[in-house]
Amino acid sequence: MLIATGLIKSYGGRRALNGFDLTVRPGEIVGLVGHNGAGKTTFVEVVTGLVRPDAGQVTVAGVDALRHRNAARRLVGVAPQDQALYLPATVREHLRLFGSLAGLRARTLRAAIDATADELQLTDVLERPVGQLSGGQKRRTQAACALLPTPAVLLLDEPTVGADPSTRHALLAAVLARAEAGAAVVYTTHYLPELAELDATLAVADAGRVIARGRQADLLAGLPSEVRVGFVDGGPPLHVTTFDPAATLAGVLATGCQPDSVDIRRPGLDDLYQSIEHAQELTSDAA
Amino acid sequence: MPHDTLAHETGFLLPDTVFRTRALIRHNLVLMLREPGPLLSRLLMPLVAVLVFEPLYRAAMPGDRSAGVGQAVTGMLVLFSLLALSIVGTSILTERSWHTWDRLRATPLRPAELLVGKAIPVLAMLLAQQVLVLGFGVVVLGMQVADIRLLALAVAVWSVTLLCVGTALGTLLRSQAAFSAVQDIGSFVSTSLGGALVPLGALPGWARHLAPASPAYWAMSALRGAVAGETSQVLRAVLVLLAIAVVAALLAGWRINRGWGRSTLL
Repeated sequence: MLIATGLIKSYGGRRALNGFDLTVRPGEIVGLVGHNGAGKTTFVEVVTGLVRPDAGQVTVAGVDALRHRNAARRLVGVAPQDQALYLPATVREHLRLFGSLAGLRARTLRAAIDATADELQLTDVLERPVGQLSGGQKRRTQAACALLPTPAVLLLDEPTVGADPSTRHALLAAVLARAEAGAAVVYTTHYLPELAELDATLAVADAGRVIARGRQADLLAGLPSEVRVGFVDGGPPLHVTTFDPAATLAGVLATGCQPDSVDIRRPGLDDLYQSIEHAQELTSDAA
Repeated sequence: MPHDTLAHETGFLLPDTVFRTRALIRHNLVLMLREPGPLLSRLLMPLVAVLVFEPLYRAAMPGDRSAGVGQAVTGMLVLFSLLALSIVGTSILTERSWHTWDRLRATPLRPAELLVGKAIPVLAMLLAQQVLVLGFGVVVLGMQVADIRLLALAVAVWSVTLLCVGTALGTLLRSQAAFSAVQDIGSFVSTSLGGALVPLGALPGWARHLAPASPAYWAMSALRGAVAGETSQVLRAVLVLLAIAVVAALLAGWRINRGWGRSTLL
């Protein structure tokens, strides 16, 4: 269980975290989404003890992560946004180092290295220096270092940026497996389809705090889709914003027109941000 | 809080500390040995330099063969040990540029374990370099050492000082280029002023006045004192070097504790 409440962190005059609250239950995957600068990475840095907040509390599996940073770190696996790998060291040497630092010993460590390498399709490159690997293999190595010790809390900061489909698939499967084993997972990303694959709940961050929390379907349910219809006779295309695309299309066909192309765009993250920002503006105007 | 967690936090589980530190030392040794070029050059070049310059120093200091040999060995030792700061600084700067330093800080490693795990392989290299040069001086050039324990003390303290200064530079400077510039200028000025390249007596008056501001001056003083068996001279120099080491270590510790976040050129 990860509980963060009232986190505040300022850099100079800028507030990176401004009352950030987030709770993640064991086995739950939370997709932490938000524009660049929303506070996602700072939140990850606070939980891992890299950054000390100005105010607020963080509890990791019952351990106060701000007062007992080392104890909390034993319970947290993290794959940071930036690539953090020793280029001359092999994949096995990375896994051995981070496994050892997490407390795995001897046979347990060797077994965990083999299992994680197999899970993330790294077995064939275990003895190769990381500097010689492809971008996707490096991504998987970085994630493997976080996943190896089976932590109680897993923080993955945009782990699939630039990853090919095979890498993405392997990573998502590994994350799902950790959640099924009881890990509380925070997964920051800009790609909603990944979060749907993970069956993650959403936490939308903006200006240093979580402004919306819930299931993806519920958060997007109140937003309209866009329907674009092109016509065979070359007439001007129809562009409709609607809550019921099927009914809208049926209505178009009922007029006897012959569509040439139909494009339905479901609401996404940007629409959600805009909707929330709009609602906030209305609230502040009313106040 | 779970009992084992509390024990970890308060440091009662010594084997875990040893295990983590050992894992980091092994990893850093692997990294160092995987790129052996700088290591070999720092170990072998001083031997070549001692061989080449020893006749020159003997000629410049006539009437006292041991003084010429001693100047060649200790002077080249100090010069090349200052150049070996590049290995100390680079070991920190590469961790920063690879973002692995923060990655390590996010593990259960305590700050002391992290520093010891980084420092021991580098310290071993610094000690190996000095032992090799001094051994070469004694065995090949017949340098006489009056007190081997004083020499061991001087070498150990100078190595720790170099380690602390290199770590401070590696943590405080913003880029590899800045480090190279500071190291090049600093090593040359410190070595020249310290009497490692040219015997102190041959330096111009103004340089002799400035010499005590140079760490190399105190390193030379400690090494020369040990070779001559001058205990008080060695102890005085060692105390100054330790003071420099403490200041550098405090600076490095302060910088490491702050972290680098995203405000870096690396």
